[in-house]
Amino acid sequence: MAFNIMIVDDSETMRAAIKKVIRMSGVPVGDFYEAAHGREALDLLEGAWVDVILSDINMPEMNGMELLQILKNNEVFANIPVIFITTETSEVRVEEARKIGVAGYIKKPFLPETIKRILYGVLENAYAQRFSAEMADLDQKPTDNDGDF
Amino acid sequence: MNAELARIVYQNLSNVFEKMFFTVLRRFPDHDRVVAPAENYLEVAISYQGGRKGTIRFYFPEQLARRLTRNFLAIEDELLSDSQIYDMVKEASNMAVGSLLGDLDPEGSCRLGIPACRRCDNFSPVALAGEPGVCAFDSEQGMLWFVIEEICAGNS
Repeated sequence: MAFNIMIVDDSETMRAAIKKVIRMSGVPVGDFYEAAHGREALDLLEGAWVDVILSDINMPEMNGMELLQILKNNEVFANIPVIFITTETSEVRVEEARKIGVAGYIKKPFLPETIKRILYGVLENAYAQRFSAEMADLDQKPTDNDGDF
Repeated sequence: MNAELARIVYQNLSNVFEKMFFTVLRRFPDHDRVVAPAENYLEVAISYQGGRKGTIRFYFPEQLARRLTRNFLAIEDELLSDSQIYDMVKEASNMAVGSLLGDLDPEGSCRLGIPACRRCDNFSPVALAGEPGVCAFDSEQGMLWFVIEEICAGNS
């Protein structure tokens, strides 16, 4: 069973680029969902099941931190892992996100390999059994230092 | 702009542009002596506030903006739309400012505003050259201009 992935970013171009990187990464994708800000992401979640969310922080309407906070306080959505892909690089901000419950943190500018590595790690943690079945034939994962967790 | 700030700006912009857009920038210390004809630019402005407060503006020559978008999306020039190009220069500026503030504001007290982009047709950046917070970078597609106007520099 493939993973449904939501990308939340106010830049349509950035969403397209992230989508392309994920497609190339080998992660089996069911459906992609796209939202321009946190409010739109919440609306989409009312009608779709999503396995992982990759979100920017600095967005209009509702930023990524607010979205994460709402998801963690909602018993239906609390277990959906959220990965931030953001220019907000200070340790204070990373720590703030970690406290709320972010599953991964990717700093822009990023290398495609970073998205792949962190997405793999997060999916593996959240859906261990399903992930190993899906990824059984992939034996190599990239490594670099542009993200956390 | 003082030499140390110019060095930090260059380091951060250079990292973002090379890593994400495969575009090399070179420092252009004599920008106040540049004679640049008017051409079409895209201006991106991003405000920030917290421990420091101010606005950073970028002036991208249109050809450079197209190259960044083309390289990032890996598509042919004739397939580019204006909205993709505007989106891309906003994103590139956002990344550059986020990275820069990581150095200027290591405590992370600053919050970035949402980038705003507008066209500046027949614009000559020579008008900027005398401003104190200006530096310029050369690229194969013309000069990228960077302007920082800080209202409050905080304690750092």
